[in-house]
Amino acid sequence: MKSNESILGSIDPEITERLVSRREAIVKGASTSSMIAAGLAMGSVPVALAALSRQAFAQPPANIKAVLDFALALEIFENEFYKAVLGISSSAAQNTAFATVRPMIPAAVVTAAQQIQRHEEDHVAFLLAAGATNVFSLTADSFNFTGNRSSTTPGPFAAATTDAAFLLAVAQLAEDTGVRAYKGQAENLISDPTVLTAALRIHSVEARHASKIRRARRALTGAPAVVKWSGTISGGGSAAAGITGASAAVTAAAQAVYAGEDLTVQAGINIAALTGVPSAAAASEAFDEPLSRAAVVAIVQPFFKPDIS
Amino acid sequence: MAGTAGGSPVLASAGAGATRALLLVGVLSGSNRRGGWGDMPDEKNTVVIASAEQFWQVKTRRDFLRVLGIGGTAVLLPSVFAACDDDDPTGNGGGQTATLNLGSEVGILNYAFALEQLEAGFYEAVVASAAYNGMTAEQKEVFTDLRNHEVAHREFFRQVIPSGSRIGNLAFNTTTLNASLANTASILKTAETFEDLGVAAYNGAGKYLTAGNLLLAGKIVSVEARHAAAIRDMREGLGLAGTPAGTRFAGDDVVTTDTGLDVVLQPATVLSKVVASGFVATTVNTSGTLPVKPAGSTAEKAPPSPTP
Repeated sequence: MKSNESILGSIDPEITERLVSRREAIVKGASTSSMIAAGLAMGSVPVALAALSRQAFAQPPANIKAVLDFALALEIFENEFYKAVLGISSSAAQNTAFATVRPMIPAAVVTAAQQIQRHEEDHVAFLLAAGATNVFSLTADSFNFTGNRSSTTPGPFAAATTDAAFLLAVAQLAEDTGVRAYKGQAENLISDPTVLTAALRIHSVEARHASKIRRARRALTGAPAVVKWSGTISGGGSAAAGITGASAAVTAAAQAVYAGEDLTVQAGINIAALTGVPSAAAASEAFDEPLSRAAVVAIVQPFFKPDIS
Repeated sequence: MAGTAGGSPVLASAGAGATRALLLVGVLSGSNRRGGWGDMPDEKNTVVIASAEQFWQVKTRRDFLRVLGIGGTAVLLPSVFAACDDDDPTGNGGGQTATLNLGSEVGILNYAFALEQLEAGFYEAVVASAAYNGMTAEQKEVFTDLRNHEVAHREFFRQVIPSGSRIGNLAFNTTTLNASLANTASILKTAETFEDLGVAAYNGAGKYLTAGNLLLAGKIVSVEARHAAAIRDMREGLGLAGTPAGTRFAGDDVVTTDTGLDVVLQPATVLSKVVASGFVATTVNTSGTLPVKPAGSTAEKAPPSPTP
């Protein structure tokens, strides 16, 4: 069947192998998936296709699926954030929210954001195809990007809708949180090398994004030196965010995003004392740190209307 | 798997070759504190250690026990002995050959150590090069950072791998190295090759590691990916268009366009690319067999060949 071919063609070769033997399941299950409708509601053909192909997978073990579900929630968040910023959200309200700042974003940054958004959307589709479920029933309207959940009062990140520099800072916080979240889950995926490898490959893409966002920020006039041209995280806590004049609430959020990033001891070895390592700053920059699921949830919950704990 | 890149090992050659080797040692002095350039004709630089004796020295035993403590456990034990039976009489510690026992976790750590040596040695040479002096402030900051980070990775692996099973220092092919240092563009090109290869290597090796080491590798690979994106972005800034334009930091040449997944390579492919790069004079052999993993986890996506 032609439709089957196009579905299989949209899936990464790594998982195609697992799919091939289950083409029949695709046909059988295709008409029943609510996620197909959800994908179409989100304006995402890849999401809908992935939901379709998900019928083909055996359900992953509960511990693996829990990680995939968590990752999916984060990827939907990131994807919907960039779509709102770029004005391509399926939610008119989300597009309107960023209408003021949109024309202020440098053209080169828009191009980068478009590429990043495509990756996030691909990650959503991939995770669904790998067996993740949208357990929080997230749609474009499930998010409050000012960071005040369901309240209509603008939250501490409202300036992201009017200030391009601050918007980029928020994007950096989101990307670095994503990197730390995947790192924190890697050990939970050891029993499934296929999923682990895919997660590692998403993890490094998120790190590339974070690097580019930093460089875009550094290119702005008056950017602090802690926002490294090399794209790396320098130091830890709120200072590592490099946001000047941040409110107490934003400072607290940034503190959580970079908590523990200034670690200089790895596997009991003091990196700062090793030959050729010039400083504690260099020692901490050389190693990115993980975050637990609970820590990640605490950071991103203000942007989600539903409870994701 | 391996061949000697660039002819006979630089460090064993005499005359002009030896002079080049000494210059190289000067450049790479940070890497010369432990282990040894076992084949250096100069006795001062020759470290000959019988592996069994070294193993039982208190310092190295403590290193070994520390590695056991971070999660190597019983998997390490056979490899510690297996690593001592190779063609190198100094117990795998010389500069002419390095053998990676890929059938053991410590062999995978040695594989990472080899790649970090390559990166760190390159950036040490970059910041000591004439071209560095002519770089912009941004470029200097980036290459200083990359030198610092990769040296930290290299020295970390030197500490964390038990000395009895640790490979020695890799020797550079100085002809290739010096050519890469000719100007900023050639330095950026080489850096991109190494950083993307590093990302692909760590992404491919993760599944061969136990929990503690997997997390450590994860802490390193995201830093490599940050480097790769920065270097790729800088090259686009110098006129090398991304695909699509403006996206070279995570372009369609390194991230799949349907699933958003980064480059990934198996160790054999990575090592063949290292040999093909011509940067390493040391012959890198492999022994042992990688653990069998599901076919779905062994597919590869290679970074593009260096351009232009």
